[in-house]
Amino acid sequence: MRVTLETKPRKKPNIPIEAESIIPHNFLRGTDLSVYEGNKQRSLDEIFFITVEGPAVSPDQVEVILKGDTGRIKRVGEYMNAGKIVVEGDIGMHCGNFMSAGQITVRGNADAWLGREMRGGEIVCHGNAGHYCGAGYRGEKRGMRGGRLEVLGNAGDFLAEYLCGGEVIIHGDTGDLPGVEMRGGKLVIEGSCTRPCGNMSGGTCLVFGQVHDLLPTFEKRERTQVDFRGMNVTMDTYHGDVANRGKGSLLVRSGDHA
Amino acid sequence: MSELLIKNACVIDPLNGINGDVMDIAIRDGRIVEDVGSSAEVIDADRCLTLPGGIDSHTHVCGTKVNFGRYMSPEDMRAGRTSRNGSMHVTSGYSVPTTFGNSYRYSTMGYTTLLEGAMAPLEARHTHEEFTATPHQDMMANTLFDGNWSIMEAVREKDVKRAAAVVAWILSAVKGFAIKLTNPGGTEAWGWGEDVSSIHDTVPYFEVTPAEIIETMIRANELLRLPHSVHLHCNNLGVPGNYRTTLDTMNLVPDLNSRRQSLYLTHLQFHSYGGTTWRDIDSRSEEIIRVVNASPHIVIDMGQIMFGRTTTMTADGPMEFKLYMLHHNKWSNHDVELETGSGIIPVYYSKKSVVNCVMWAIGLELALQAKNPWQCLLTTDNPNGAPFVKYPEIIALLMSKRYRDQECALLDPRTEKRVPLMAIDRELDWNEIAIMTRAGQSRALGIESLGKGHLAPGAEADVAIYPIRTTEIDPSAQFQQVMAGFSRTMYTIKRGRVVARNGEVIVEGANSTIWVKPRVSHEYDLGNDPEFAKKFQQYYTVRMRNYPVQETYLPRGVCIETEADL
Repeated sequence: MRVTLETKPRKKPNIPIEAESIIPHNFLRGTDLSVYEGNKQRSLDEIFFITVEGPAVSPDQVEVILKGDTGRIKRVGEYMNAGKIVVEGDIGMHCGNFMSAGQITVRGNADAWLGREMRGGEIVCHGNAGHYCGAGYRGEKRGMRGGRLEVLGNAGDFLAEYLCGGEVIIHGDTGDLPGVEMRGGKLVIEGSCTRPCGNMSGGTCLVFGQVHDLLPTFEKRERTQVDFRGMNVTMDTYHGDVANRGKGSLLVRSGDHA
Repeated sequence: MSELLIKNACVIDPLNGINGDVMDIAIRDGRIVEDVGSSAEVIDADRCLTLPGGIDSHTHVCGTKVNFGRYMSPEDMRAGRTSRNGSMHVTSGYSVPTTFGNSYRYSTMGYTTLLEGAMAPLEARHTHEEFTATPHQDMMANTLFDGNWSIMEAVREKDVKRAAAVVAWILSAVKGFAIKLTNPGGTEAWGWGEDVSSIHDTVPYFEVTPAEIIETMIRANELLRLPHSVHLHCNNLGVPGNYRTTLDTMNLVPDLNSRRQSLYLTHLQFHSYGGTTWRDIDSRSEEIIRVVNASPHIVIDMGQIMFGRTTTMTADGPMEFKLYMLHHNKWSNHDVELETGSGIIPVYYSKKSVVNCVMWAIGLELALQAKNPWQCLLTTDNPNGAPFVKYPEIIALLMSKRYRDQECALLDPRTEKRVPLMAIDRELDWNEIAIMTRAGQSRALGIESLGKGHLAPGAEADVAIYPIRTTEIDPSAQFQQVMAGFSRTMYTIKRGRVVARNGEVIVEGANSTIWVKPRVSHEYDLGNDPEFAKKFQQYYTVRMRNYPVQETYLPRGVCIETEADL
């Protein structure tokens, strides 16, 4: 089943829409769903032109396609457990919160908290991701716990904060403090970043671009060879964050960091 | 004139010796009276359990450290949200809810009076502001004196009268209710990076020992004729082997008051550990309770822990640091200038941890082994042991051996060898539960004469009607009904007005704050004392004239004036 949701023009397009009901599972029982526009509850067809093609008996046969002005739509795919969501344009904050399985593709940019505390499944963002991508929400001790999150563009600050499991891959650069408070899992940054992995206690972070302002609380170890896109790359290995008895590893491409 | 008549109430009122009689209760203008006119509003209690409004004699619900607990745990604030409903405010939070959250949840459980466990004098204004936002309960504040410099100087000079004068001035200034000592001396030592490990260790600079502080304060308390006794959180909280410190402390206490206890030991569960490290910790509740049973001048409360998530908060700074070293989670520590300190840490008590299982068992053992329920009151030291919403579960555990066995089967298997709980068959009855949740508190806090904790004519019309028919259910087997019944009252009546019905709060409420003002002679009024004033000029960041809390902060203050022997 393919559900296409195309946004209708809104009088006040800046008012955010809370759309945690948009997950494949919910469309098995029709499109009679509601979302909030600001503090007003709206039915789904007040916000979107809806077309449904084909049948489905289980949520993994459902594909939801979001089109149009979707940059203000929040919480799409929250608690998603199967199926597929494709966003043709940008997506708002908290896309893929707590998702446990399935697949989300964002063809544009994603706003903050993409894949926050996700437990499984896959998110691919073709544009840039905002701050706190794959992180834990305020006060939470565990961020992303499983699954795979890939951003083909850049990511903002606090990427994968409190990462506990799963894999985060950023093809571009990231902002400040990626992998801060990391506890497990794997973080790959192909571009450059500043101050990675502060206070990490476990997990592995690889940076293939430049690292600016590497924190002084990382202990240098021997060099290792890592395979990167078929090339053998020499990496400096760091152990830390020793300020907090951390046992994580930070691997940085040799000779490329100040 | 508003009148209310509760018909067919199955009343348990231990202070008046009523145990399960079916009777009517008449209320006029917020007080219980002999009878009312025929035009009175009528509530049919339908032979359900009717008790005086609940009193919590040790809970942390208001003040700066509670507020710090709120803002250091945004994840806790995302739990337990309720939306605005009629006169009910929005609430949120689980272990440290908003003030209205605390108030409404207590109210739906039938609690009408609360004692805030620890208020730093310097931060009293904030506490009183939060009291006015806790509208369904009358509030009192334990005032911290454990590390007060003026007090420790008086203790060093062995001048009980001077210590009493300091207490009198500060209590009146900050509108506090009783003397609270939290790890006496230890919090001050923590300012120097040290702690005290027994009651005979000395505090740096002041050269006084916790034993001296405790004894002086007990005597000062009686000189001032305060309604409550000294409220003590012993040294060495949460340290394996600390039961020796607790026993030493209990042996210090002189019996000075015929109406009530001379020392109230709070959350004793945290002070009854044997062993030497976390690996060999065991329960010493039997040793502790033997002394309590032999000492009618001591009252304790349980400080029960319950499994799950909560937040610990105390003025005991060094203890919270030790807890941080165990958990390596977020934490906070504060110093309150010249007075005390505090610390806050979120924790999770787990059935998989043998230490937590032993703690859980000790709390229950204290209550089950105490011969006299007037001496062992029911608390969780909310939220340190568990949020107060767990009280109904604790009541069910105390009333049902079967429920305890069922829970014990889920514990870490090593627990059984370390605690005597599994061998205790006692099941408490309704009357004992009523004592442990209201009557005992009323007597221990000395607020019986204000009309709290009982239902005789003249008493305050605080009544809780629970949907439980005591003659029809067997708490030993039907513990689920006991739990459900105590979680939601049919009616909670506060000062003659129904404030909650079937678990729903229905009116805004207007509480009062009870405080104490000891009257002392001119000679002992520290308002005129140049030495005392010098403390403010030299050390405090607050001037002496700005220090007292103005009465505008207590819109409905109830002042208990005492005639001190000074």
